[in-house]
Amino acid sequence: MPMIDLDGVQLEVDEDGFIENPDEWSEKLAAAIAKTEEVEELSEDHWKIVNYLRDYYKKFGIAPMIRKLCKETGYDLKTIYEMFPSGPAKGACKIAGLPKPTGCV
Amino acid sequence: MSTSDILWTLLSLFFIGLAYFATFAFVAGLLWRLYGYLRTPMPLPHSLTPAPKTEGGAVLRVLGDVTLFPNLFKADKWLWAGAWIFHAALVSVLFRHLRYFTYPVPGIVLYMEPVALFFGILFGVAALFLFWRRLGLPRTLYISNIPDYFILVLLGLVAATGLMVSYWMHVNIVDVKSFILGLMTFRLVEVPRHPLFLLHLFFILVLMIYFPFSKLMHAGGIIFSPSRHQPFQVQVRGKRYKNPVERY
Amino acid sequence: MAKFDETPIIKDPAVKGELRPPKIREHASAEVKCHPSKPKDTAAINLPSELVPDWQERAIARFGELLDKNQALRVYMDACVRCGACTDKCQFFLGTGDPQNFPVARAELMRKVYRRYFTPAGLVPGLGDAADFDEEMLQKWYTYFYQCSECRRCSVFCPYGIDTAEITAAAREIMASIGISTKYVTEVVAKVYETGNNLGIPPLAWIDNSEFLAEDMEEITGLPIQFPVDEEGADILLIPPSADNFANTDTMIGYGKLFHFLGVSWTTSTYCNEAGNFGLFLNFENLQKVNQRMLEAGRQLGAKTIIWGECGHAWRAGILTPTLSGSMDDFDPPYPYHISQYIVDMFRKGAFEGHIDKSANDEFLVTYHDPCNSARAGNLLDEPREIIRNTCNRFVEMPRNTIRENTFCCGAGGGLLTDELMPIRMAGGKPRAEAVKYTQANYLATVCAICKAQLPELMKYWEVPVQVGGVIDLLANSLKLK
Repeated sequence: MPMIDLDGVQLEVDEDGFIENPDEWSEKLAAAIAKTEEVEELSEDHWKIVNYLRDYYKKFGIAPMIRKLCKETGYDLKTIYEMFPSGPAKGACKIAGLPKPTGCV
Repeated sequence: MSTSDILWTLLSLFFIGLAYFATFAFVAGLLWRLYGYLRTPMPLPHSLTPAPKTEGGAVLRVLGDVTLFPNLFKADKWLWAGAWIFHAALVSVLFRHLRYFTYPVPGIVLYMEPVALFFGILFGVAALFLFWRRLGLPRTLYISNIPDYFILVLLGLVAATGLMVSYWMHVNIVDVKSFILGLMTFRLVEVPRHPLFLLHLFFILVLMIYFPFSKLMHAGGIIFSPSRHQPFQVQVRGKRYKNPVERY
Repeated sequence: MAKFDETPIIKDPAVKGELRPPKIREHASAEVKCHPSKPKDTAAINLPSELVPDWQERAIARFGELLDKNQALRVYMDACVRCGACTDKCQFFLGTGDPQNFPVARAELMRKVYRRYFTPAGLVPGLGDAADFDEEMLQKWYTYFYQCSECRRCSVFCPYGIDTAEITAAAREIMASIGISTKYVTEVVAKVYETGNNLGIPPLAWIDNSEFLAEDMEEITGLPIQFPVDEEGADILLIPPSADNFANTDTMIGYGKLFHFLGVSWTTSTYCNEAGNFGLFLNFENLQKVNQRMLEAGRQLGAKTIIWGECGHAWRAGILTPTLSGSMDDFDPPYPYHISQYIVDMFRKGAFEGHIDKSANDEFLVTYHDPCNSARAGNLLDEPREIIRNTCNRFVEMPRNTIRENTFCCGAGGGLLTDELMPIRMAGGKPRAEAVKYTQANYLATVCAICKAQLPELMKYWEVPVQVGGVIDLLANSLKLK
């Protein structure tokens, strides 16, 4: 099982680097994962998206529809791709500690 | 009896035994394999679309596959030409061989006399082309294996020996025919005393034994390929048609 | 990412669209493999979670069972003459140059084992070209039967119609029975049983998504376009790929606008909100179980008819429904019914007459990508084109040897749409990307959710500036709503 090291604490992640247990997520962890996703620094804009993703996930148990994410956070898809180069479903979800969306996406 | 008479008698017994064995292996093996294809169900619709909508259309599609190799034509024109000539010449030559098995010989077989040599040579040339193609192209070289070469070499030898005994070191046709008709009527007749002919016969018998257990079964498989013999009939567009939208 | 040959393989596209196969590069893609499945997923779908101890015997036994049950497999094990016609037809060979991706070489991996255990050639393995089913062979199976998207392109060019998809499916079935399967496919199938769809969208989220879209439409159009969920007694049960209600929302909006315009009652179901059937990529048992859910959903809601959404392999499984899951007599014909066929039927009945503004799509130069499954397995060749011609002024076809039944797979069908296979996906999609580039289209329409997920990444990778979307999206654009 692959692991990610965060200040000496080992966390289980899957093969793609998504953490196995969303409850282990912390802001510090998000910053650490962000570095692996070509996001050097988590800005306020980043946090807005990450927090929205986490809130939605807590409520519904899944990542939000991309259209909804854009509308409710106020960023269009292009901007989100600029902020998270691997996209909302992969990069943003990984940083927010959500499981990887899989299926036909 | 001289030593050579004993030798020819032994050889005759060997060839007679081998001929019956080969015929049995060929016929029984072929039927067994074909029965295997026939009895195996196809659990799900499997037609390759666009496909004929009717059974009749599907039969025509398979007939087309058997006679014209349309898929091969789409895939590779040179290969298609080589393969089609190879098979057409083979069928012609086989047909021509009816003259050794029938009495009286049907007129059409006799009329083939002037073109028989042509088909024989064509067959040999096509076999050579296919052999060259296996070795000459990196992609076919990669996928070719011992059985592929074996069959082509065997067929080439059959063709070469056959042409030689017909047009060069003539074998006595009366001897050949009496031997074959003897086999067919279960009378023991000595083999023609012609080593090259016996070689020709030997290669053919080996081919017959090998046939049911080899890729030569493509000859039967082509009729049973579900992606070709199934019509596309999975959709019910019956008379009961009633669109939920009443206005339309 | 492992780089494969970058030289173009579509030769002089402007003239002919001829293909130039790459040089053979042995083992080029040998290391690109799927992640193995997780025990929690395999347990949920009735598969062993790890390689079973007596795997060799069990695999051969399962192989024997399949040979007795499947005419295609039996015939295709014997019929191949290794003529080589297929060797330059598979997009995964064209993209990677790995000769194991010749359809014939892929199939030979299975035929070698077949000859070893089921024919006299097994007595002389070397001469007879037979091989043991050992560890090494199993690894090859796992690698190369998951580098096949079961797209059937090779079958079009095979003189015997040998369908590598059938061979790949059998190999995966055998592997699944001894505990070898991939994470991507098993995870998705497990999610279908848990939540009703591949993405794992729970019912509440599905309802939330649908309500959100309705509000959004109200804001944009001012019309009460609804996205009903679990509505009993609705005439039409629409089963879309779940990605339509997640990522490809324009397609979902397309369904909504269409049904709103026609004024029909329709619904989606939270029990079965997934048309895609990943059982097809795994084994027969799960193929059947997943398919069954569609009819169950239709009966639960009392729908008059079930319509399949824009999803390629859904339609491949969809057309099997009456055979797989029993009679559909209690639904109104035609059945199985695809959304593209439905739209074309409506066009022919004149439902849209005077309500289509083709100029709304004038910004697009549209080309159409035939998803492998809808074209070669589902006979859906003319319907999408008819819709595009009826809704767009500017439509252009890709080269003839890359469309309709000759279409190239997007590169990610058949359970390959997973990140660890990205090198294979990008290489395998190369012929498709080059054909699109040649048309200079700026809108690539297709009717498959897997294609819609793969193609944008593919086009980015091969630098083709084109937007990817559904066919129904174009209809929705041009439809003058009322």
